[in-house]
Amino acid sequence: MSVGMLSLVVLLAILAALAVRQGEDFGPVLRRFIEQFGMLVPRMLCALIAAGFIAVLIPKEQIAALLGSEAGILALPVAAAAGLIVPAGPVIAFAIAAVFAKSGASTPALITFITSWSIFAAHRILIYEIPLLGASFLRLRVLSAMVVPLLAGLIALFIARYSAFGEAMPLQ
Amino acid sequence: MQSFAFLRDRTWIRGVLANAFGPSFWGFAAGAAAFGVLAMAIKGPDIVAEALADDLRLLIDLMPRVLVALSIAALIWVMLPRERMASLVGEDSGMRGLMVATLAGAITPGGPSSAYALLAVLAVSGADRGALVAYITAWATLGLQRILIWDVPFMGAEFALLRFAVSLPLPVIAGLVARRLPLEFRVKDTSPPPAKKADA
Repeated sequence: MSVGMLSLVVLLAILAALAVRQGEDFGPVLRRFIEQFGMLVPRMLCALIAAGFIAVLIPKEQIAALLGSEAGILALPVAAAAGLIVPAGPVIAFAIAAVFAKSGASTPALITFITSWSIFAAHRILIYEIPLLGASFLRLRVLSAMVVPLLAGLIALFIARYSAFGEAMPLQ
Repeated sequence: MQSFAFLRDRTWIRGVLANAFGPSFWGFAAGAAAFGVLAMAIKGPDIVAEALADDLRLLIDLMPRVLVALSIAALIWVMLPRERMASLVGEDSGMRGLMVATLAGAITPGGPSSAYALLAVLAVSGADRGALVAYITAWATLGLQRILIWDVPFMGAEFALLRFAVSLPLPVIAGLVARRLPLEFRVKDTSPPPAKKADA
């Protein structure tokens, strides 16, 4: 069992014990569970399959060629855009980041890529955000956080001028 | 048992099914099929089969997490002291509210299933739009669990530390922007939280 799963199970056990002690009514709990399950899981199946196909269609090597440190600040928008089109979980996203790093992508570009992916990953928007929060929240969030990946890259770029700290050492 | 009576309520069952297999489900299914055809045409059947096998592995990995995350969210949804939430991360919570939301996002364990389920709970509990955006941005960029499990092994500890450091101010910035954007924001989930017992 992974660390993440373990901490979730522990949290669930604590909450359940608390609920029993407070004499909570489990009817509404089950109702909420079933409603959210129905909202999420069927769409999730389709999105998962679509994301798997998109991940094999992304031209990783061609993108990596645009992210080197000689590209400087221009690498940041490319990296941000690359993050947008990776519709998959951390396994694939970080595998792609490692490919970028090995092909010489600069540290600020890698940070922008990972930040952009973590904020805007399309599969998460489709599977969770729209069903659970709705389109008006999505619009608000996307407009509010649009600059965040570029800001992260700019701060990293600024730091890179003074120190080489934080250079990626990608997994082989 | 009175409180489980909804399980036999036909209207409720029909509503859940309509939500699960409505037009947007078929939109998703059509999208998946279209990308499958595209991958088949460009990469060939071997790659398509491999992608499908990966999907299956991912799904088996994912289902237990989704079940646990949704159970947690459903419990919190019933148990959360809503009045206290409003003063902590409500509209008048100011900078402190954004920082509380950022911290909560950074320490929320689990993947998107738990984070988004909790976000939906916060949205109906009086959290303001800035806090909601700050929370989910913090979960995405500062999530400690993701940094430990993914950034560190894949990219190295120094890189992980640098990425964490440059991301520190960003959720609050996103939250401040969200509070100022002249956009209409309607919470989708309108189902009322269960009434608390009067003596609770």
